[in-house]
Amino acid sequence: MILLDSVSKQYAGDASPALDSVSLHIEPNEFVFLVGKSGAGKSSLIKMITKEEIPDSGKIIVGGIDLDYVKRRHIPGYRRRLGVVFQDFKLLPRRTVYENVAFALEIAGMSGRDIRKTVPKVLELVDLLDQAKKFPDQLSGGQQQRVSIARSVARQPKILIADEPTANLDKLTTAEIIALLKKINDFGTTILVSTHDESVVNNLQKRVITLKDGKVVNDQKNNGIYELSERPVPKAPVRIVQTPGHALKPRPVANVATRSTTTEPARTKAPASRQVQRSTNVQRGANKRRVI
Amino acid sequence: MVAEKVGKEKKLKKASKKSLRTMRRNRNRHPVREKVRIVKYGTKSFGRNIWLSTAATVVMAITLIILFVTVVASVILTNTAEMMKDKIDITVYFKPNTSEEILAELTEIISKDSNIKSVETSTSEEEYAKFLAENADSDEVLNVLDDEMSALMIGKMQSTMRVKVNDVDNLDSIKNIVENDELFVSFVDKDKAPTYDVNRAEISTITSWARIARTGGIILAGVFLIISILIIFSTIRMAIFSRREEIYMMKLVGAEKSFIRGPFLVEAEICGLIAGLIAATASYFGFSFLAPKLAGYGINVESISEIMESNQLILVFLVFIAVGVVIGRISARLAVHKYLNKA
Repeated sequence: MILLDSVSKQYAGDASPALDSVSLHIEPNEFVFLVGKSGAGKSSLIKMITKEEIPDSGKIIVGGIDLDYVKRRHIPGYRRRLGVVFQDFKLLPRRTVYENVAFALEIAGMSGRDIRKTVPKVLELVDLLDQAKKFPDQLSGGQQQRVSIARSVARQPKILIADEPTANLDKLTTAEIIALLKKINDFGTTILVSTHDESVVNNLQKRVITLKDGKVVNDQKNNGIYELSERPVPKAPVRIVQTPGHALKPRPVANVATRSTTTEPARTKAPASRQVQRSTNVQRGANKRRVI
Repeated sequence: MVAEKVGKEKKLKKASKKSLRTMRRNRNRHPVREKVRIVKYGTKSFGRNIWLSTAATVVMAITLIILFVTVVASVILTNTAEMMKDKIDITVYFKPNTSEEILAELTEIISKDSNIKSVETSTSEEEYAKFLAENADSDEVLNVLDDEMSALMIGKMQSTMRVKVNDVDNLDSIKNIVENDELFVSFVDKDKAPTYDVNRAEISTITSWARIARTGGIILAGVFLIISILIIFSTIRMAIFSRREEIYMMKLVGAEKSFIRGPFLVEAEICGLIAGLIAATASYFGFSFLAPKLAGYGINVESISEIMESNQLILVFLVFIAVGVVIGRISARLAVHKYLNKA
């Protein structure tokens, strides 16, 4: 669904490249986390996929289209094939929630009747039907992000790209947004989420691609675990699994050693005190969480 | 191996181009629907940005009024100068009792000059009649004018010839006729010289004022038109600058340029339309109020008054609205273009 072959990009004035020969392949219906610290190249990579930036070298193929052949005149049409969610929501401030979602359908040329049918369904999916007439500044951050997601999935794109969708949200809202993205993925949409929030990644057992200094340093196909900081990986990391009714239930992770096949330097065992501290923090973040 | 790779590349290129072609074909399948949406969002946006819209409209209206005042002032000044110029004539005085026949002959001679606009003659009797008319209210004058006195006065009054010319700066040929033509020389009153020498300085001043009024008015109107466009452009650009993020957002979600640009243009056009209406109404009432006062000072406002009081007033309103809409649209288009091409 998304293929990057030796993609490199260096911005003028930067000493090191934003992306350095990045190659990866995302299959249809996959849910992939793109992780890394700030400046690792996550946003650059997403901008290449959304055609906001052009790579210096390498090939990008998205949904069967080689982006080399996407000229300026093709860009709007190409972007309409994607769903994109942004860190800062990027909602149209002078349009209501309903109009923001409808906008995505109007630019695709959908008829008024179809829009009137589709928008309420999409708003129901993100649980915002009762907020349809409000303007973005009348909503909370989480609600705004859900509008942004509703706008991006309204056209039922095959690919949804989310650039740090939870960066401005609290932990509970983050869990809700990730659960929503998971739901959309279950409908058959390929999802690529960039984040530097390790709790977001560890909540779901999905593929994790780690970028560091513009390079892919780790690509865990399944049950990916991501540790952003340089601190050692604990033997039994905290794993919170969401169950129906938003009850978040922790689950022990088996065989961590086999999964953490990272190219980063070997990590040492974390002190017991730090593990306890992390557990306490998670408990504070959500009342319904239980930590092993 | 290489052949296989090349084959795959070709297939990919073909598939990509096919997908992109389909995308382009599916674009704007319903241009009317798109236009309706553009107008709808432009109108809504005007209402939702009411403060910004009002500010832009007011600036546009004031600028249009200034433009109107400049154009009208230039026309009035030119007309007044022309009117004054038209009042200037050259008077040639002939000996008393020069007959009508002689005057007709003299008229025929001078009319041959191409600079002559019109020639009017009056005999001594007619001059006396004029004198009586001018002093109709003066009992002192009328009391002394018995028949004998009247006959004496007619005998003393010169017959006159009033000549209006096309070009007051070029009087040499007329002067030549008056001074050298035999008939003229024999009948011109030697005691009273023709007025072309006396009024020469005044004639020259008024002529140069008329010229300045005409060219200055055109230049001033042009300068104000450019200033107006710049003011309106800056106002709309500032309004759009505050919303440049919106343009960027729309681009990111895949809106076509025309769909992004459209509502901004509609908004600016609504501003221009309302500003045009306000400016035309204000100008109409302002002119109606000031015109009689200006006319009292001897300023020629006739031509503008004629327009304002006839059906052409609708045309004036339409011109105002058209100028507002066109300048608004051009300004918005240029301003949006800047941000539209950035993202």
